[in-house]
Amino acid sequence: MSCKPGEPCHEGVKRRRALAVLGLMAVIFLALSAASFVDSRGQVVPSTVSYAGHDAVAGKRVFQAYNCMGCHTIVGNGAYLGPDLTKLYGKVGPAWMEAFLPSAGSWPTNGAVRLQLQNKAVAADAGVDGLDAYLEKYPDAAERISRRGGHATQMPNLALSREEVGALIAFLKYTSQMDTEGWPPVPKVDGLRFPQAKPIPHAAQSTPATPASLSTGPAVPSSKVALGEELAKENGCTACHAPTKEKLVGPGWAGLYGSTVKLADNSTVVADDAYLTEKILKPDARVVAGYEAGVMPPFADILDADQVAAIVAYIRSLEGRKP
Amino acid sequence: MIRIEYETQRLSLRFFLVMLVLFFFQTAFGLMLAAQHIDPTLLAGTLNFNVIRTQHLNLAIFWVLCGFIGTILFVGPLLSKRELAAPWLIKVLFYALLAVVAWNLATQVLAQRGIAGWWMGQPLLQEGLEYLEAGRIADVVILIGFAILCYVVLRTFPPPSQWNEIHWGLGLGVLALTAVWVFGMFFVERIDLQEYFRWYVVHYWVEGVWEVIHISLVGFLLVLMFKADVKSVGYAVFWGVTLVWLSGLLGNAHHYFWVGTPEFWQFWGSLFSALEPLPLVFCFWHIYLDAHQDAKPVANVPAFAFLLGSVVLEQVGAGILGFTMTFALTNVWSHGTWVTASHAHLALFGTFGMLGLSAAYYVVPIMRGIEHFDQRAGRLAFWLVFTGMLGLGFAFAIGGTVQVFVYRTLGLDWFGGDVAPAMQTAKIMVPVFGFVFAVGVCLLVFDLLTLGHRRSAVFDVPEAMATAAAHAPVRWGRRLSGWETGLWLLAMWVFGGIITLGLLSFNLDTVRQGSPVFPYMMAGIGYPGLLLVTLLFIWRFLSSLETRSRVSVPLSAAPLPSSAGVV
Repeated sequence: MSCKPGEPCHEGVKRRRALAVLGLMAVIFLALSAASFVDSRGQVVPSTVSYAGHDAVAGKRVFQAYNCMGCHTIVGNGAYLGPDLTKLYGKVGPAWMEAFLPSAGSWPTNGAVRLQLQNKAVAADAGVDGLDAYLEKYPDAAERISRRGGHATQMPNLALSREEVGALIAFLKYTSQMDTEGWPPVPKVDGLRFPQAKPIPHAAQSTPATPASLSTGPAVPSSKVALGEELAKENGCTACHAPTKEKLVGPGWAGLYGSTVKLADNSTVVADDAYLTEKILKPDARVVAGYEAGVMPPFADILDADQVAAIVAYIRSLEGRKP
Repeated sequence: MIRIEYETQRLSLRFFLVMLVLFFFQTAFGLMLAAQHIDPTLLAGTLNFNVIRTQHLNLAIFWVLCGFIGTILFVGPLLSKRELAAPWLIKVLFYALLAVVAWNLATQVLAQRGIAGWWMGQPLLQEGLEYLEAGRIADVVILIGFAILCYVVLRTFPPPSQWNEIHWGLGLGVLALTAVWVFGMFFVERIDLQEYFRWYVVHYWVEGVWEVIHISLVGFLLVLMFKADVKSVGYAVFWGVTLVWLSGLLGNAHHYFWVGTPEFWQFWGSLFSALEPLPLVFCFWHIYLDAHQDAKPVANVPAFAFLLGSVVLEQVGAGILGFTMTFALTNVWSHGTWVTASHAHLALFGTFGMLGLSAAYYVVPIMRGIEHFDQRAGRLAFWLVFTGMLGLGFAFAIGGTVQVFVYRTLGLDWFGGDVAPAMQTAKIMVPVFGFVFAVGVCLLVFDLLTLGHRRSAVFDVPEAMATAAAHAPVRWGRRLSGWETGLWLLAMWVFGGIITLGLLSFNLDTVRQGSPVFPYMMAGIGYPGLLLVTLLFIWRFLSSLETRSRVSVPLSAAPLPSSAGVV
């Protein structure tokens, strides 16, 4: 406004002064930046964090490769379709994540988490020796299981390999250990008491959190097939296997019984009672073509012979079902 | 009406046309995202949310850049009084741009299968970092494209000793555009360090580079539209650029509150980024001054409407809504929620998108040699797009306020079961306003693409106006005084203050104990108030200009109807 046409403007002087102030700002900014990343600050770095033999840096690569930030936020940045993942590891623990990530399309149940705790490395990282202790140490995992367990999620199943799951957990272990200066704020109330927390209708009849309910509740299903269906749900089988022909993580069960299965070594086998029983108890004994060993956990220590027979009976009942 | 003085100015047209096509697809992707927010299983496994969102963000960047490049190519020769240097390089730039857009469309889908194309530790195909999702191959091509733009602009400009402020703004702008991009081209192991450098690109682009280019281009478009004095516009550009950089350089600190960087950033970020609206107020004031500098009618109403929209939404979206969440005590709540999406949509589309559309409405008729065109479609499109975007900002803001309460205060983190159902009303408002916006987009894309090729488009507007009007200005259309403009601006900031207090109130003990009354009330007053004042102000501003053209037609030497309105 002082710089009208015809009046002297001193533009050069003003430019130089503006540049000098800008330079001062830049110096302040760079000094603050340098102070932000000095070792003495004690901020955790990913190269020092590992989980069950997996590296947090490798996990960051997986995190980027799947563009997780395109739906979730991490340290608050990203998209707002799903929850923030920064502190998730500290809340739900490694076993819940191990159960969730390979079959993100459905929420883990008690059985699925218990299964992951069979793995010594997972249990050691969680610092507990059984499901009860785990759920006590990670109450958010218990809440997730009781409210959502066994139901469909809104996340698509991703093609995560065993290796990638471990690496991702290592990365999220790293972020959960980061000092984020008090963000996100810790709630001062129990949100579950508020009307906003009324679960969506179909989740209302979710499986109870107490592990004792596993297959021995008062309402034992009468038929073997119904028992098998119930067991398949409680032990997390349905997280990876659909009752249709659809492949989730493992093969769909409809039409599986009696079909001819091609194995990784190019031999074939008919999916009969003996084969399916073996697959449940020792899944890696014979790997099916197109699948990876180690994805399905062994159920030998979890299910007894009757329970396995019931699940096989259930799979058999799906033999002729159209998808 | 300005005619083309330099042949190479014609190269700008193709960038504007591509801009319109990309804008159309970006809007379509946005509608798909809105639908997926309501039903997240929609297209899941086929075209996941993150892939569509990546395109929504990247196309936004691409078409805004197209608008910048087109405008720079158009004004470059006028600023330099000579043809553009190396027109063949501009053609290379154009095809490189098309190739990068197509390449990025194809490679981003790989995120569904976790393929990043790792090579020597760098992701070649896509890298899954918000706004910088493009892989290293595309990054390098983009860097070359920026370098070409720098070369062309700097070679076209006269020697720096003859530069005025607009030259300085644009010259430094394109150089910084290129320099800052480099910081996004490395894989960083630490997430805090990665976010630190990611905001170098995102923040310094938007608040350092783009705003500088924006100020310079707005200044020069005002010179073109109103014959404003280059010197006085240059003065505004100088102070605009200086204030942008003085506040924006340290203002970047507002991105370093919670990403794992130390607490002291909260002080610097809260202080300096609170100053960031200053250059925007300055720009806002200048569009008022320049539009009222002569009392002549506006020849090209859509071009001016989008320019006004750009400056006003910059004030509201970037300035005011940015201000509300720039303090550590409010940002701790808004961070990572829809509240920020409200600011981002209004600021990014409003400021930069509308500038590109304004330039397109200014340039396309000139390129096609049309003296007058039927401006009704353009005006209608402006109102649809403008109200649609205000509505989107409102929906995101209200949804975000609910999200903060449910997610942060109550600590409910089940998005499918608790958070999304609580936000349901807002989630449905997004596609509703998005539809209004999309209709406007279709209309303006159609209008601009076919302008001059349709018979009906060549139409004499001033004639229709001259017959309709010539009566005294009504209250709503009376001349807009500086005082009144100041009052409108004050009203916007008052509502902005209410929003800020609403976000601040999440710290209150009553709210933290589970009572949402206070923040909901403040948001319920603040956001609709702010957005309605914005809507009314634009309406008031435009009708004041329209009345001016009506009364001045009979006064301006009673021209032949066909030449009325020619500036």
